[in-house]
Amino acid sequence: MSDTKLKEHRSAYLFMVSACIFLLVGMGFGIFVALKFLFPQLGDHPLFSFGRIRQAHTNVVLFAFLLQADIGMIHYFIPKLLHTKLFSEKLGIATWVIFNVAAVGGVIGILLGLNQGIEYAEIAPPFNYLIVLAWVLFLVNVMGTIMRRKVRCFYVSVWYVVGALLWTAVVYITGSILTRYASGLNQANLTWFYVHNAVGLVFTPCGLAAAYYLIPKVLNTPLYSHKLSLIGFWVIAFTYCWTGAHHMIHGPNSYWLETVAILFSWSLIIPVMAVVTNFLGTFATAPRATRFKSAESKLLFTGTLYYLATCLQGPFQAIRSVNTLVSKTDWVVAHAHMAVLGCFALYAMAGCYYFIPRIVKRPLYSPRLANTHFWLTFVGLLLFIMPMFVSGPLQGLAWLKIERTFLEILAEQRIFWMIRMLSGLLILFAQSLFFYNLWETVFGKSYFMKPATEEVA
Amino acid sequence: MQLITERNIAILAVGAFGIFSVGVFCTTVLPKFVDKELMDPKPNMRPYTEQEERGRKVYLAEGCVYCHTQQIRHLKSDQKRYGWRLVDAPPSKGWEYAYDQPHFIGTKRTGPDLARVGGKYSSEWHWSHFKNPRDLGEKFRHTSDSKLQKASIMPSFDYLTDEQIVDLTAYIQTLGRNQNWRMDKNGNLLNDYEE
Repeated sequence: MSDTKLKEHRSAYLFMVSACIFLLVGMGFGIFVALKFLFPQLGDHPLFSFGRIRQAHTNVVLFAFLLQADIGMIHYFIPKLLHTKLFSEKLGIATWVIFNVAAVGGVIGILLGLNQGIEYAEIAPPFNYLIVLAWVLFLVNVMGTIMRRKVRCFYVSVWYVVGALLWTAVVYITGSILTRYASGLNQANLTWFYVHNAVGLVFTPCGLAAAYYLIPKVLNTPLYSHKLSLIGFWVIAFTYCWTGAHHMIHGPNSYWLETVAILFSWSLIIPVMAVVTNFLGTFATAPRATRFKSAESKLLFTGTLYYLATCLQGPFQAIRSVNTLVSKTDWVVAHAHMAVLGCFALYAMAGCYYFIPRIVKRPLYSPRLANTHFWLTFVGLLLFIMPMFVSGPLQGLAWLKIERTFLEILAEQRIFWMIRMLSGLLILFAQSLFFYNLWETVFGKSYFMKPATEEVA
Repeated sequence: MQLITERNIAILAVGAFGIFSVGVFCTTVLPKFVDKELMDPKPNMRPYTEQEERGRKVYLAEGCVYCHTQQIRHLKSDQKRYGWRLVDAPPSKGWEYAYDQPHFIGTKRTGPDLARVGGKYSSEWHWSHFKNPRDLGEKFRHTSDSKLQKASIMPSFDYLTDEQIVDLTAYIQTLGRNQNWRMDKNGNLLNDYEE
């Protein structure tokens, strides 16, 4: 093996550490965006104009934080599940370097006004090509690891990772590169195929793969049902990519495509219920005394509940009459935050709490602080999304009354934006505790820890 | 129960990719052929001029699309709200976007929809509004509520060069003209700020 000089799990560690840093950066951008709603003249500079900061927020939290955390976790648990070592730590580190150069360069480009204008695929060339390159290297690394596995059978997480690797390649290349060669409504179809599947076939399989690994591990209980995981995986593989057009309901798209998207949105309830029943079943069969003890288990449980909520909400939003009321309002913003922050970010945080201490071979600095982090995030999240679930339909209802001016309706939203900004601050504060806890775990010199000889520079 | 996909990586990969590509084909490739008529430009449309394309670049770089949609949905409330002097705005058709690369259809309305905004306000009004969105000028002259006058949360674009604002305005003034809809009930064209 050529990797003798590199420690095991080095690339997984690097991915997770930079993900934690970008979590704070991305949420910082989020707070800035929230403040702009209240004080539009704040930070009156081209670099920090609303349109740019908003893109920086979504791109940093989606790619630099969440995707990076997912890649890091996969680098750790795929070798573990296959009873072997990662195909190449060097390749993993190269992937990490390329991915981070792409993410940082892409976001700086966005702030300078360089973007592709496709939602979530704003990162412009050459950086989007670098992301594709990083993904191909990641694919080679995972496939190489699978080739030299010591066990015959794949666990559920491996199916999802293999699926994610292939689906993401198509989804990202479609959204970020092929859209450049299309225009008008045809491009819009590709855009919303990408927007929906960026969440559905990138973050969902990566996040579920991590949860399928973490939940049984954290609870020390076998997975509830093998059959349910089979149903969940194969149905999601078939149905998810059909739903893009539900982003343009009542819009300029063709009626048949909208209807197809709505029907498939409803069919998504099948895989979602299979997955959620499986996860909650595992919780239900875990030892009663310890099942909610650690912060990891609480994060995983809450994430699963948010997954259920957001995935049940989705089909309802896709109904034409409901869509009339909530589409284009803050409701959709809350829906997106439930999926990405409420579910997959919480899974990623649970993963950081679980994996990072195991990689550095030191116990978590403070399980109590981790609990505080969970509860503050939990409360912050509720306060964050609930106001938008009120303000969105209120705005939608007001828009139906044409005698009310747009500006008048806008002015009424201010109180909800205030609550959103404050709860955002609470969430960001909670994440700084998360960061501090992991920082002390890795670099701290606490009395109960081993001497700091294994520290990294 | 154990499937062969749990032992054989090739079959797992091909299977997962295969059933995924059915949906990909039907929702991204197929519409291009089935809905050709909806997507192709109509003969009376013209591509954007160089100046308008420059304006579109500004619109893109500043991320206007994150607050302003460009679609009149097939909803009476959309048609009425974004209409013009009691004439309903016609719903946006797919072909109206044919020359848009990228399209700015959008998903979020923090600000009003812009699909039919062309010709509604004078270019001078746009100039002062870009410079300071808290100054709505003649548009809200009848509004006595001064609080509402300042309620806009649009960023001010006074950092754009004069040229950029002129280009951007030229683009904004084209919006919605692919359907000739600004007519009164007798079919006479209504006054337009530019004509």
